[in-house]
Amino acid sequence: MTNDEQPPGDAVSPEGGGTSDELSCEEAARNVFEYLDGELPPDRSEKVHRHVEMCRRCYPYFNFERAFLDYVHDRGMRPARSAELEERLNRLLKDLEDRER
Amino acid sequence: MSAKHREFESEALVHMDVLYGLALRFTGGDDAAAQDLVQDTLLKAYRAWDKFESGTNCRAWLTTILRNTFINDLRRRQARPAPVEYDEVAERSVYPQLHEEDAEGGFFDRIVDQEVIRAIEELPEDFRVPLVLADLEGIGYQEISELLEIPVGTVKSRLFRARRRLQQRLYRYAVEMGYIR
Ligand SMILES: [Zn+2]
Repeated sequence: MTNDEQPPGDAVSPEGGGTSDELSCEEAARNVFEYLDGELPPDRSEKVHRHVEMCRRCYPYFNFERAFLDYVHDRGMRPARSAELEERLNRLLKDLEDRER
Repeated sequence: MSAKHREFESEALVHMDVLYGLALRFTGGDDAAAQDLVQDTLLKAYRAWDKFESGTNCRAWLTTILRNTFINDLRRRQARPAPVEYDEVAERSVYPQLHEEDAEGGFFDRIVDQEVIRAIEELPEDFRVPLVLADLEGIGYQEISELLEIPVGTVKSRLFRARRRLQQRLYRYAVEMGYIR
């Protein structure tokens, strides 16, 4: 069922799933984000986990996608600075305080 | 300066840069809209300040206000949403192109921060908002579904497409910059 020439990650749809006890690489790859997000039902998650731990194609692929998600989180949350905004907010707060006095 | 004012400054206003960063991601880099969003957020927080329990996580409280403010506004704007264009080609993982030279994803670390920020901010809104909620704020599918009033399946597929688009764009950027062959 597995094809060593083709790395996983080519699934174009997040849907899908199998009924047999062992997942194929394609089935595991289709669940990659739900798995990494912790959004799979426990039994399905366990199945994916078992496959990925033992599969030399999927293991690095899942690590790759995990690194990507960590990276988006770390960099995406970067704060931004605006002197204009700071000034605006200071003025606003001063007005509010004056009004409350 | 009043005690309330001082307290607000030291507990809430110190998070301005974090809020503004998040507001920029939400608004797709629209500076004026992001500034308004931060201002609305802090104004609401100031008015509700006696409800905030000192010593609890002020940053989380503020980001929740910001998120709800943005989403309420989004719902109003999207009363008649524009259809989303789907681009199948852009929805593959970049892993097949990369796995021989970089199996562990270290490739991403070579891309400068600003490019990632820009890539997130330039995603179409329908993809960008679920991605900001899930990947920046760490919110689960079910809660995103409720916030955006879309089915969980739609959350899943938009998130999937958002991530793929982001990857593809970062990959193209890395190739252009010569970070990868
Ligand atoms: Zn596999």
